[in-house]
Amino acid sequence: MSDRNNRVPFDEDNYTHNINRNNERMLDRRGFMKTLAGAAGVFAISSLPWGAVAAKELLGLGEKEYPHQKIVNVKDIAIGDSVDFNFPSEHDSAILIRLSDKRYVAYQNACTHLRCPVYWVKEEKEMVCPCHHGKFDAGTGAPTAGPPRRPLPGIQVEVSNGGVYAVKVKRYEA
Amino acid sequence: MKRSYVGVLLLCTILLLNIVFTQLMVHQFYYEHYATTLVYGGLNILLFPIALLIYRKEKHKGGTHGHEQ
Repeated sequence: MSDRNNRVPFDEDNYTHNINRNNERMLDRRGFMKTLAGAAGVFAISSLPWGAVAAKELLGLGEKEYPHQKIVNVKDIAIGDSVDFNFPSEHDSAILIRLSDKRYVAYQNACTHLRCPVYWVKEEKEMVCPCHHGKFDAGTGAPTAGPPRRPLPGIQVEVSNGGVYAVKVKRYEA
Repeated sequence: MKRSYVGVLLLCTILLLNIVFTQLMVHQFYYEHYATTLVYGGLNILLFPIALLIYRKEKHKGGTHGHEQ
């Protein structure tokens, strides 16, 4: 009884058993720095695909000519009218507008704000996105009002044999 | 117990720069300024070895376990 407090309770060779080491070093200075360095690595890796696609576009590999697709017959579209179509793939909706006798313009019709479909309002001669009332200039595709800041990507069209054909997706020169 | 938080601050700055460059990169990509996109992407990648270097240099410095050096 007398030597009760004089004994080490269990066999060990250090004197730190009274320190609760659980979670003590979960996020110390060094661990935090390690996390930050790891985050830098994640950022570096995640910028690779963007760089790869940008390089591809710069080298002109993205300039792809798609098989010509007939959109509509010339006689079926009056001046000031528009036709919806899909180009280059069936999942990319686009819009063709006949501005004058000879002038046809076509754009991908996904609004550059949040990708709502853009409509041609004949009476006001404007392309309008119904979601947030973004407006685009029909002649150039440039945004004129509302939240979108980037122009609609253009589609090059060609008129031959009485039909209007989509040729390729134009790159916008800023 | 001396503390050295220079490394932590430097790494925090790098994280901030990473966020800024990533934001700029994505925006420039959508504006179709591809050369600028590449510049920001390159800067982002460059920050990683710098972060590693700082981590390696600062790992044993100061902190609450300075006496373990």
